Amino acid sequence: MTDLLPQNIHDALAAKAIEHLHPREMIIEVLRAIQDHRGWVPDEGVELAGQILGLTPLQIEEIATFYDKIYRQPVGKRVIHVCDSIACWSRGAENLYLYLQETLGISPGETTQDGTFTLLPTCCLGLCGEAPAMMIGLKAYGRLTRERIDEILATERAEAGA
Amino acid sequence: MPILTIDNQQIEVLKGTNVLEAAKGLGIVIPHFCYHEALGAVGACRLCAMNFVEGPVKGIQMACMIEAKDEMVITTTDQASQEMRARVIEWLMMYHPHDCPVCDEGGECQLQDMTIAGGHDIRRYGGKKRTYSNQDLGPFICHEMNRCIQCYRCVRTYQDYCGGTDFGVLGTNQRVYFGRFRDGRLESPFSGNIVDACPTGVFTDRTFRYRTRYWDIEEAPSVCPHCSLGCAVIPGGRFRELQRVRGGVNKQTNGFFICDRARFGGGYGNHPERPRVPRVDGAQTTWPEALRALRKRITDLVARHGPGAVAFLGSPRASLEANYLLDSWAASLGSRRIAFDSHWQHDRSARVAAGKLGPRAASLEDIRCSDFILMIGVDPLNEAPMLALAVRQAVRRGVRLAVIDPRPVTLPCAAAHLPLAPEALPDVLEALAGGDIRRLGRREAVLLEGILEQLRAAERPVLIGGPDLLGAAGIERLLDTARLLASEHRPCKVMTVLAGPNSFGCGVLARQGPDFEAILNGMLAGEIKALVCLESDPMTGSSDPARTGMALGKLELLAALDYLPTAAAHHAHLFLPTTAVPESAGVYVNNEGRMLLFSSAMDPGTPISVSGGGDHPPRTFLPATPGSEPRPAWATLGHLQGRRLSLRDIRQAIEMEHPNFAGLSSLTTGGEGKRIADISPPPETAPEIPFPHSEGEGTLRLYAMEDFAGSGELAGYASALAPLRPTPFVMLGALDAKQRSLSDGQQVRLRSELGGVGVALRVVPDLPAGIALVPRLRGTALESYVPGRGHYDCQILSEDEEKT
Amino acid sequence: MKQHEQVLFKNRSPGETAFLETYRKSGGYQGLEKALTKMSPEQVREEVKKSGLRGRGGAGFATGMKWSFFPADKPGEKYLVCNGDEMEPGTYKDREILMADPHQLVEGMIISAYALQIPVGVIFIRYAYEQCSRNLERAIAEAMEAGLLGKNILKSDFSFELHLHRSAGRYICGEETALLNSLEGVRANPRSKPPFPAQKGIFGKPTNVNNVETFANVQHIIAHGSAWFKNLAFTESGSGTKLYCLSGHLERPECFELPIGISLGAVIEEYGGGVWRGRRFKAALPGGASTPYLTAEHLGVGLDFDPIEKAGSRLGTGAVTVFDETTCMVAATLNLNRFFARESCGWCTPCRDGLPFINWLLEKIENGQGEMGDIDMLREQIRNINGRTFCALAMGAMGPMQSLVDLFEEEIIDHIKKRCCPLKT
Repeated sequence: MTDLLPQNIHDALAAKAIEHLHPREMIIEVLRAIQDHRGWVPDEGVELAGQILGLTPLQIEEIATFYDKIYRQPVGKRVIHVCDSIACWSRGAENLYLYLQETLGISPGETTQDGTFTLLPTCCLGLCGEAPAMMIGLKAYGRLTRERIDEILATERAEAGA
Repeated sequence: MPILTIDNQQIEVLKGTNVLEAAKGLGIVIPHFCYHEALGAVGACRLCAMNFVEGPVKGIQMACMIEAKDEMVITTTDQASQEMRARVIEWLMMYHPHDCPVCDEGGECQLQDMTIAGGHDIRRYGGKKRTYSNQDLGPFICHEMNRCIQCYRCVRTYQDYCGGTDFGVLGTNQRVYFGRFRDGRLESPFSGNIVDACPTGVFTDRTFRYRTRYWDIEEAPSVCPHCSLGCAVIPGGRFRELQRVRGGVNKQTNGFFICDRARFGGGYGNHPERPRVPRVDGAQTTWPEALRALRKRITDLVARHGPGAVAFLGSPRASLEANYLLDSWAASLGSRRIAFDSHWQHDRSARVAAGKLGPRAASLEDIRCSDFILMIGVDPLNEAPMLALAVRQAVRRGVRLAVIDPRPVTLPCAAAHLPLAPEALPDVLEALAGGDIRRLGRREAVLLEGILEQLRAAERPVLIGGPDLLGAAGIERLLDTARLLASEHRPCKVMTVLAGPNSFGCGVLARQGPDFEAILNGMLAGEIKALVCLESDPMTGSSDPARTGMALGKLELLAALDYLPTAAAHHAHLFLPTTAVPESAGVYVNNEGRMLLFSSAMDPGTPISVSGGGDHPPRTFLPATPGSEPRPAWATLGHLQGRRLSLRDIRQAIEMEHPNFAGLSSLTTGGEGKRIADISPPPETAPEIPFPHSEGEGTLRLYAMEDFAGSGELAGYASALAPLRPTPFVMLGALDAKQRSLSDGQQVRLRSELGGVGVALRVVPDLPAGIALVPRLRGTALESYVPGRGHYDCQILSEDEEKT
Repeated sequence: MKQHEQVLFKNRSPGETAFLETYRKSGGYQGLEKALTKMSPEQVREEVKKSGLRGRGGAGFATGMKWSFFPADKPGEKYLVCNGDEMEPGTYKDREILMADPHQLVEGMIISAYALQIPVGVIFIRYAYEQCSRNLERAIAEAMEAGLLGKNILKSDFSFELHLHRSAGRYICGEETALLNSLEGVRANPRSKPPFPAQKGIFGKPTNVNNVETFANVQHIIAHGSAWFKNLAFTESGSGTKLYCLSGHLERPECFELPIGISLGAVIEEYGGGVWRGRRFKAALPGGASTPYLTAEHLGVGLDFDPIEKAGSRLGTGAVTVFDETTCMVAATLNLNRFFARESCGWCTPCRDGLPFINWLLEKIENGQGEMGDIDMLREQIRNINGRTFCALAMGAMGPMQSLVDLFEEEIIDHIKKRCCPLKT
């Protein structure tokens, strides 16, 4: 279990679930806790969430697969979400998206061979004033240019310990 | 009641009716997918568009989502609503594969029909098609997601209506997916309903796959014979075998859905060992020869020993007509020795219900509409599965459900469960009827007080009980309780689950007659020399199989009429084959006293799959269909009495003789049936019937219980149900297990008067102390443990202990 | 660039977040104190009603009116929900508030809860706004610590607990009934209305949902009065300031707090620094991705609810996305439609399958494979999606779509005739 959720967090969530009138409300919270720890939510994570909340894996999966920011497939250490909505699009996001694909050598939805980056599109990040923008993990990056992307990738790669 | 105008026609409808239903009332059928009478309107498919010209809402609206109101003027034929419907169909068909020729749904596909009706013909969409991977959903249901049109009916049926939790909706946008978390058999005992609910070929009956096109299957409205509820089913046959069963509609009983036992348990009539030819003393013979032999032997016996030497055993799974003719045959011979159920408590319970239920009988619809439910000594999922679903519908509306039962009564809904030992149930009934509540423990008394309070406060309460733990005495007390709780302004209805599809009818016919116990004694005493069994097998049906076997061995003549390869049929000196339910017409009277007509969907015959051994059958040319000898039991019984009777004649005779069956001869198939009139006087001198249990000794008291797929006689011969049968197990409370140092899952030795058997242990935390439970599982060592017999003293030992 | 009175942004300073100390110095929590000590719940509701505040989440429903439907006086379980699922493309005003001055939301919610007599509140924050969540966590903790939140607020009888819910994506969660489902832990499909959340919201209990910016305004209204608030507007009919989020082809795409009703042209020229690269203005989405385009002829239109509606569009979230003369409107609309198609919850057919159908049509046209009949087909698709879906998501998609065929039909025809995108370089 520890590779899905640290024991103390598991216990805290389990205790909260027991007290909770509607443990269902905690599905996203538990899934996000697993994802924070493990990087993504494997099948065992869905089952664990079910155990904690007294729900079947299917009941968890119905929610897990609804949200695009719950990863039900393995991802790299850093997930790059490139905004492809209108404000970023108007300021060249498409080209930057292609540039990222070229630089990383992967297509959208894929993970780099070294396991560092996964590339995914996302809808508007609320960074329209800094378009084009992207999010790596939970960190926002705006005013992207090719050069800035190179810098960001280098920093993130170093932080990820690749 | 609102009056509205649709396509220039006026209609008055009940308040709360939606416009789609109102239009249907005028014969205007507008295509729709997500709306379903039992599932309600959710406005997902957007297909039932109509143009609202006048009234409180205007413009194109989804008719299913709009309540019919006065002054509404609506058109369905205008350009805008027609265009909308055509576009919706076009969208739904964007990705649908053109695989109708190889799709099992082809020909009975609502999507095909609606596509034509909706006005979409040529696909204009030229983009990429969305595709999916399918899941293995087990032996009953095939999954073909590419055909899905996302109407959400399956999940609304499976989760909302049936309470399943292992199948649902995954993903979003145009990629929503209907399936399980992982491959695997759908766990709900009502899973097959998604086959009926799916408007196209996403979910199809795997047991029926690649076998028959819709236009080739022979179907007829029928009644499910697996339990006493009388659910409407539609069996379908081809190549001389029953190939599938689908749900029929009867709003008073099952509604629209059926359980998996009904759906996948229809194969008993296809059994490869089914006896299909008349037999005399072990040798196959012709019908005339067999009939002559039976008549002669009985006449001889009567001549030699008097009419009392011949006894008869009817059956809760035989039609009312056949049981009636058996009764009249016995009477014509002058024999009073006829019983209709070899299981003593079941027989007595049916008579109590038939005699005393009267207008208090609750239908499944009454239960769905009730506002408080108390279940006592009844285990719906195993004994009468659709009852569990009816109860769920009430609970979904917020109705409270209390369960008093020692068994771990599993239900597809929330319930307050008070696990009391069977011996405590009479006290509970007593207390409910106003007796001394203090005879129960303090905790129990408090809980019961609460239940009583809710019972009194409810406007439409229903009490539900079953015969296995309550017995006839308990059923009687339950009925008394209901009478006490009811007032002029407030009914208190009762549902008593009975043993078989025609138990109630048998109860009416049995009246003051003897029970099988008396017949057994007569056989053992040598007074009875012959027993004629109509579609019944006392060897497994009675509560004491060993004693019954001994008694049968003493007979000079055992005659059996049946369609199952039962022990009685096997040992009979004289055997006459009868038609199975899907091959027969007749009437069953369900547990609430509702007369339900079933028609014959197919003719009997050896299935080609049997005669061909899976291959093409041998090319022999015969004047008659192979294996077509079985005849309806009623026809044979008429013949034996030298009467040529039609079903109509028999029904009229029944009405004449038993006025409570008034209306029998005017019943129609596929309808809601008709409740029998409540004019039969209750048994004057009801025999003192003990409860089916007694205070136990120091050892464990073992009770047998029904199992969903493992206990029923018919289910036992339906091979498709095999995956649903558990391996033998015994249940024990946590404390008892701990005292014996036994743990959950462990292999243990169960010892009782019936011998020793190795089974797995299931520890049930709140099972009352001193109680053990086993499911009756046919074809296993647990077959001879009969529910409703009372307890067996038993010991449960670990395998090691057993060795020492 | 003319300076207007800053209300919501008065503590905004680049790269910094104002927390309790700063907030109080600038008059924070005075509204709450006034409400709790000097006003009855009913008076608070009345003041908000008089202020003319309209919902800032996109639909523009009068807040006072919405509150009047709420069974404030009925005791029992009730919920106050803040919709912080800001995901309308082009919109980032809530983020600006929460990055600059998060206590405004907390205080606004407490006052609103008092007005509606609600004991429990939840702030629903989208996944991408992690920093906003952290700011709110701190603000909530500070408010608790200071006795401004929790039991017996400011020693009054009123208690209010406030929770934060971090979501995991999906635009549909911003639809208020979908948001309630999301909070309950069921799939975030919108619910059928009626019943409205005010009657049956979370777990069937009365629930009031407002947007971040709407709540943030409440405490200023209470602190300074409804007359003051009404006066902030540029137009007679308007009320308050509005956070306009500028994006797209502008020199200075930033978020400005301006009197509501300022003209589109003024916003672009004075605040947005004009169309970038010296190019000419072609069109703008005046209120987010689900509002119909406005063109050069509409530059004089005041950015307030009513005037924009008269011009054929909507104020929506007040997110102005500007397109210059080089923009292919087919491609822009395709981008918008792809967004809506991807964010469809999958519940109803026209949205789930109709939007992908339009994607295919527009892709065909943009790629030079369009036929003249496609324009009719497109109109027919719009006609049968608009107003025919279960919720407003696809209707939002049809906003710009309808204006594409109405205002830029020539451009579509050009694509078809030239068998390529005439604006692609």
